[in-house]
Amino acid sequence: MVETTLKIKNKSGLHLRPAAEFVKKANEFQANITLERGGKVVNGKSIIHVQALGVRQGMTINLRAVGVDAEDAVAALSELVNNKFGEE
Amino acid sequence: MKVAKDQIVAMIKEMAISMAENKIFLTELDSAIGDGDHGINMDRGFRKVLERLPTVVDKDIGSIFKNVGMSLISAVGGAAGPLYGTYFMEFGKVAEGKEELSNGDFKMMLAAGLEGIKRRGKAVVGEKTMVDALEPAAEAFAVAAAEDKAPLACFQAAVAAAKKGKEATIPMLAKKGRAHYLGERSIGHQDPGATSSELVLRSMLKVLES
Amino acid sequence: MVGVVIVSHSLKAAEGIKEIAQQMGRDVPVAAVGGTADGQIGTDPLAIKEAIEGVMGSDGVLLLVDLGSAVLNTQLAVEMLEDEGQDQVVLSNAPILEGAVVAVVESAMGHNLEQVKKAAEEAIHMEKLL
Repeated sequence: MVETTLKIKNKSGLHLRPAAEFVKKANEFQANITLERGGKVVNGKSIIHVQALGVRQGMTINLRAVGVDAEDAVAALSELVNNKFGEE
Repeated sequence: MKVAKDQIVAMIKEMAISMAENKIFLTELDSAIGDGDHGINMDRGFRKVLERLPTVVDKDIGSIFKNVGMSLISAVGGAAGPLYGTYFMEFGKVAEGKEELSNGDFKMMLAAGLEGIKRRGKAVVGEKTMVDALEPAAEAFAVAAAEDKAPLACFQAAVAAAKKGKEATIPMLAKKGRAHYLGERSIGHQDPGATSSELVLRSMLKVLES
Repeated sequence: MVGVVIVSHSLKAAEGIKEIAQQMGRDVPVAAVGGTADGQIGTDPLAIKEAIEGVMGSDGVLLLVDLGSAVLNTQLAVEMLEDEGQDQVVLSNAPILEGAVVAVVESAMGHNLEQVKKAAEEAIHMEKLL
């Protein structure tokens, strides 16, 4: 398992477009990807789940990936989050 | 004995008159158990039917009924649009290429229209819908036609059965449409769809009686 | 990409849902349709048919509807399509807004019509408050 903690810096949080970007990126990998916030764990490849997590600006989430390409998945998703999904 | 095209056109005009006259009544019935727009929707639909009728009166009866169906589909808005639209489209299929209609044609039209509505609305008798008026009407017509009665007598039998079927909806528990959400509270109200169905058939009868 | 058609009794509602859903993927063909031919609250099968044809591509179209007569009129619209088009169009049981959001994401990921439909319908179980 590869795990990292990410701080959400973009303005709208993991909401609508950023959530969609996250899920689309996550689906490029074979690994099982989960997000955890406040004890709740959701499937990082499901837009329903990622939306429901209600992640807003300033919150931290734990990103976990299990599988052959787990390392690449975490790297790519971390980059997406840290680059604020291309938001200003 | 056959019914000529000009009488069919008169029947359609009669339906439009009936819907205009009963607009408030149907809306009141619908306000009790639905969203209160059935009368308004049916009137709007049949206004569109009248508006378009002159463009098809020279065509065969099938085309005329298909035009009624398409007009209702495009103008009604509520669930009655696709349901009655389907009903008259099915009429149109049976009457394709015809300039006059026999008892046998009417029997097939009423049966095909009913099947179309049941298919579209997935309703059966006893669910407080249009089917409660239209199914007994189609059956009564078929029975009368089998006894070789004149179209007038067949329609009289059909309308009597539709009226009975409509009245039978009062104690029913609604299983379809918005009335279904009311559950037990739908009991004790006459179904607006069954009511307008009787009006449609009664309009056809009225022309034969005159 | 699978196309998405949003059918509501209100054109404003349909357009608003489209606006939200398209945040999830700009390239996905989405059509909003609603209201009767004369602009009242309701649905118009002919307008729905045109909306379907407008987003129809080789991957098919998912239809999302709000309530009651929208379902009947959408089914009627599908029956009015050319025969070869009918197999390519699927009516979904998904909640209209949540379903549209999910469908656009799924479509943008290149998933097929069956997958998009399944994902959108799972939105029924969407917990808004975890």
